Parts: sequence; C-alpha cells; structure tokens
Amino acid sequence: MSVFRLTADEREAALLPRLAELTEWHRRACPPYQRILEAIGAAGPYERVADLPWLPVRLFKTHELRSVPEEQVFRVLTSSGTTGQAPSRVYLDREAAAAQPRMLAATLRAVLGERRLPMLIVDSRAVTRATALSARGAGVLGMMNFGRDHTFVLDERGGLDRRAVEAFLARHGHAPFLVFGFTFMVWLHLPALRADLSQGVLIHSGGWKKLADQAVDNAAFRRRLGAECGLSRIHDFYGMVEQIGTVFLEGPEGDGLYCPDFADVVIRDPETWREAPPGVPGVIEVVSTLPTSYPGHVLLTEDLGVVHGVDDGVWPGKRFSVLGRLPRAETRGCSDTAGEVAA
Amino acid sequence: MDAPPSDELAVRFPGRATARDAAGPSRSGALDAAGPLRPGARDAAGPLDPGARVDVEGLLDGMAGAGSLGVGDERVRDFLGAFGRRLLRPELARRHPELASLGFFLRPRELARTVEETRGGEHVRVPRGLVFHIPPANVDTVFVYSWALSALMGNRNVVRLSSRAGAVAALLVDTLLETLDEADREVAEAVAATQRIVSYGRSDAVTAALSAACDLRVVWGGDRTVDEVRRHPLAPHARDLAFPDRSSFALVLASAWLAASPGTREALADGFAADAYWFDQAACSSPRTVFWVGAPAECDTARDDFTTCLARAVARRGWTVDAAMAVEKRVATYGLAADGAARAIGFHGNAVADVVLTAPELAPRRWLGTGTFAHARIASPAELAGLVRRADQTMTYFGFARAELAELAATLAGRGVDRMVPIGEALSFHRVWDGVDLPAEFTRLLTIR
Repeated sequence: MSVFRLTADEREAALLPRLAELTEWHRRACPPYQRILEAIGAAGPYERVADLPWLPVRLFKTHELRSVPEEQVFRVLTSSGTTGQAPSRVYLDREAAAAQPRMLAATLRAVLGERRLPMLIVDSRAVTRATALSARGAGVLGMMNFGRDHTFVLDERGGLDRRAVEAFLARHGHAPFLVFGFTFMVWLHLPALRADLSQGVLIHSGGWKKLADQAVDNAAFRRRLGAECGLSRIHDFYGMVEQIGTVFLEGPEGDGLYCPDFADVVIRDPETWREAPPGVPGVIEVVSTLPTSYPGHVLLTEDLGVVHGVDDGVWPGKRFSVLGRLPRAETRGCSDTAGEVAA
Repeated sequence: MDAPPSDELAVRFPGRATARDAAGPSRSGALDAAGPLRPGARDAAGPLDPGARVDVEGLLDGMAGAGSLGVGDERVRDFLGAFGRRLLRPELARRHPELASLGFFLRPRELARTVEETRGGEHVRVPRGLVFHIPPANVDTVFVYSWALSALMGNRNVVRLSSRAGAVAALLVDTLLETLDEADREVAEAVAATQRIVSYGRSDAVTAALSAACDLRVVWGGDRTVDEVRRHPLAPHARDLAFPDRSSFALVLASAWLAASPGTREALADGFAADAYWFDQAACSSPRTVFWVGAPAECDTARDDFTTCLARAVARRGWTVDAAMAVEKRVATYGLAADGAARAIGFHGNAVADVVLTAPELAPRRWLGTGTFAHARIASPAELAGLVRRADQTMTYFGFARAELAELAATLAGRGVDRMVPIGEALSFHRVWDGVDLPAEFTRLLTIR
C-alpha cells in the first residue's frame, strides 16, 4: 500500500495525536528532553502539528539524547560531521532499527515498485569499504538493500567503468532498473557515459550545493539527464540521519518533494518562528512518527525550504523544495585566530 | 584578501605608499631609502595591489637597518595623533562607533598621559626592540591598540593582520596609509622605517622566522592560537605576552536596579547592550552571565525588568541577529537545559535570549550566540569568591560603591577578574588590560645609579 495517500488535513489529523503522544513518551523516557521542555515551558494540549515543541537538529551532535535504556540500544548511527564538528549520534533500539528500513522501503516502493530491481550505482565500490565509512559510503550501502545485481559505474580508482556498465545494460537495460548516486556524482559521471538509461529509475540525494555553485538547478539537471541518458524517471530525496528511515521524495513530475504519510514538513519564518504560508521560504522543520527511541520526531533543520503547494500535485499533502543551508553563524570575538596562525 | 603561499607576506602597511612610488613620483619619496621592499618585489606590485609582497627575510632585513625610536617618540605621537583624528571624523565614527573609541584612545592628551606614566623613578624605560603582534582575526580594532601602544613605546613592530580580517580592519589600514601620506617627511620616514602590517596565509615558516627574530611576541586570541604560536621558539631573551580565552560577567544589586529611575534603567540597558552586542557578545569582555545580588523575589523581579529594558534597548539600536544565529542560540540554550543548567529559557525576538540558571556554579563561560544572557542569583558579592575562575576577565557592575568593590577584590584575591568597570564600559580599552600594564610590558627598565 502506498505511503503517499494522506491529504494535508488527513495527515494533520493522523500525525497530531501520534506526535503529541511521542512528545509525552520522550518527555518521560529522556530526562534531558524533559528538562528542555520544562525550560521552554512546552506543555500540551497541542492544537496543530506546528504547535509541537521542536528540537534543533544540531542538538544530536552536542548531546546524547535517547529514550531507551543504554542496554536496549541496538545500533548507534552517526553522521559525518563537517570538519571539527562532532557527528550526530542517533540511538536505535531493536524495534526502531527494524522500522526504519521497512518504512524507507515503503516510501521508495512508490517509484520502484514491489520487486527488487537490478541496480546501477554511480560511485565506486571503494566508498563502501573505507575503514571510516563516509556518509557517501553509508548512503550507498543503505540503498544497496533496495537493489540486486549491484554494478558500480566507477572503478576502484574512480574512473568510468564502461565495460561494467555495458555488461549491466546488456543484461538489464531492456526492463526497469534502479540507478542510485549522490546528486553531484550523478551530474559528474552519468552524462559522460553516453549510455541509454531510458529504462532506469534514478534515485539521487545529497544536496545541491556543489551544483548550485555551477549554477545547475533541478530543472537543468533533469533536462540534461533526459537529453543525454534518456532518463525520465528521476527522484531526488531529502532526509537526514537524525530522522533515519524518513525520506521526502521528489514526485515523478519533478515538481517538488513529497512527504510520506508518517511524516510532514513545517516551514518556519526565521523571525517569528511561526509557520510560513506556501510560497514563503523559511527554515525547514521535519516531523516523523518513526523516532521512538530518541526524541527526533520534531526537528528544526538548518536547511531553508519553501512549500510550493498543498494537495495540488501528483501525490497529496505538501510539496516543497530545499533551497539550501542556513549559513553557519559567524562568530566574531577575541578567541579566533586559531587554525591560521601556524598550522 | 588572498594571502600568498610559503614564506611570502603581503605588506599592507606601508606597502601601498611604496608601491605608489614605483608607479610615479610622490611626496613621500623618502620612503624609498628606508623602504622594506626589494626592487623586484616592488616592481611586481601595482598601485591597486592589496599589499606588496616580500619574503620574511626581506621584511626583517628592511627593518634591521631602520633608525631607532625612543619611548614616547615625538614622531610616533604625531603620527598616532593624526591617525586618531581621522578616526574621529563624523562620517566614519557614525558608521563604526568602535573606531571613535579608538580615536579617543589615540588623542594626544591620552598618549601624553601614557608616556608620562612611564617616566620618573630610578629606572629609565627603553624600548624592547622588535615586537611581533598576532591579533585576533575577528575583533578588527584590537591590532591597533596593541600596535599603537608598542609603537608609542618606541618599538619596531610587525603586526600580523589576519587574511580573514574584516572590512573595519581594511578601513583601518587604509586610514593608516592616508595618515602616512599626509604626514611630514620626518614623521613618515620614521614610521615607515619601523612599522609593518603584514598578512600571510598558513605558514609555519613565517611565524617561526618572526618569532625567532622578535624581542617580544604578543598573541591575542584563543587558547588554541596561543598553544599553536608557542610551538615556535623565541630568542632566549625574548618573551611572550599572551591574551588567551577570557570571559566576562556582570554583577547587579537587585535592590539598586529596582530603585533606579526609568531613565537610569534605560541608560544602563543601553550600556549593557553596547557591552554585549558590539562584537556579537564574543569579545572577551562582553558579559555572558548576570549575577543578581539580593533576595530571591527581588532578584526575579529585577531580572525580568532588566530583560524587558534590554530588549527595548536592543530594538532602539536596531541590533538584530540572523536566522543562523537564532538557531545557534537555540542549540546553545537547549543544550544548557538538557545538561540541567537552565531552569527557564526565554526568547524576546531573535535578538535577546535569557536563561535562568539552576545554580550560580553553572554559569557558562563559552559563547552561546549573540544576545544570550544567563542569569543567576547570589546573596552577596562575596559569594563570587567560590564562583570566579582565572579566565574571568571583566566584571561590569551596577549598585556597588568603590569601597565594596575593593573589598570584593580582596576577597577574590586574584582567583579571577582583572577589571571591575561600570556597565557600559566593558569594551573601553585601557592601557592596563587583562591585568597587564601594556606600556610597561612594551619596555625594559634600564637601571642608572
């Protein structure tokens, strides 16, 4: 059953009680979270999802926040922090660890179908083997669960492996197959292949910063991949380790990211912090019912976004875009010659 | 401001004046004689070059032959006075009030007083020699205070201006160059021969060479900077003057706040806002915590009223913070709450956040984002003795008499706090800073019996 079924109103009605319940559950189970709610004076009843108290996502880098006892922690996920920054730590118990790939699969099924497809990976196998697994490596490994007969577009040294791609297309090119890669890797390597990928379903993620620097936007990206690779089924997705298992998936028309039924976004005005109306950019808050073992169900990201429309696209609910990252706060002050004096 | 690689530096002062000479005749042609640049390097520098390039040996060679200055040298005083007057020009001071403070600091009378205080007694003060200054990247005016006092004491100086330094720093260098252009030949010659403002990229070689060559190294910046710079040995006789990470707080008598007239409270809030917001609350001397002295109920009332007054003062001055900073403040304050250090957190727009601490021992020293104020209550100032740390620098205050402060100083007995100044004066630079008498440090004592 599709997880892209609920209209905005239905979603609000379904999510509000569940998220409010999670808020109270985490309040009881996670003392640091309880102290935060206490200090900011957050208390129910909440009338709308947008009224729920949110945590800044970076708090998972600075604090250990979990709602299960240490002995029930089954997996600890870490994000690759930017240099000099601690990584996020996300604590999953057995149940949460099982739920997240299941819900991710349900989300991707909307564009991949029921069956596991042959998979072309726009990367090198080397990234999955690094001793310290990069975010890219972890992302590739995670997505590999959704495909079979994995074939890497790049060889171990990062060069195009045309022979492997040709062999893959000879075997699978006549029927739907999955293509996965990070957005900038896809842009960098797929057009150079000059291969017919018209049966492919491209799933990509990782953000637009590098492409924006080259003035490449989503429309240009889709146009070029369509023209040069025959790709017409292209789906960007947006997600983060702090809400593992929840991804916001680009619709078939390329008209924005859609929210699965168990999640939603609230775009907040960065001055008043109230919800911004469609068309007005703001800071993206992501909500999801998946985080049960850590208080990550209502998170303020450091990304800017805008809602384009509500219940007006191929799938119901909000359709939105990520516009980029909030710049890091600039610190002035005395204690800041470090790193450039000697080094 | 791209800095050159390896052991090359860009000379920002007096670089451009010299470069201009290469391009054509100029009034300050005398600079050629004492100029710091090798002919090759000068040819490469066009008039718009951000700084003529030179290697570190060339820089040091150029200064080695420089004529000497004396403590309180008239030529330097003349130059600094003229520079200060330029900073006080209304159009500049309006845009950058911190430059006006610097201008006041450089008034001839102030300079004369500083020189006067070094005289008399049985010893004669003489310059240290070559002073290497490493100012912080982000408080643009600090390098001038440090350099000006050292120059006034007759030293040759090399100031390392960060390649990340901001617009105000660039404006200051431009103003210095203009001052040099307008100066009498004698003054210009003396200053150009002995003073350098340079920038360079990440280079151990340059830092090492300047460290080995100087008689005094002055490091303003964080603990990490100080540690990094200290990896480079000084000459055996030379010494370090380090200004590492510091933090500051305010002390307010709750009953005095409550008894103050609305006008006084407004003025205090203005002063407090200036102390905090001029340098995004990240300056060492900007208050981060307010300790309220009094009974719980009056401290609560006073604190709430203070926050209301502060929010108004901040709005009056038009200080705002951007979305990224607003998020930064949430991360920091929610973090304090998660740690059990914050009982209540309030946001008054993005610009003002207040945090009521669960205990005064938990006062945060680190920067929490611009306009984030922790509050704690203590029953008497003497309680600070158990709370202050060596890294606490400035205590701004309201409601205490000098005798009480002297008593508090005795109680603290050097455990922390170098300055006790009224609210509103946290950022007023003084020649005694961080407990260090700078003019004294920039000189040596010569005994004559």
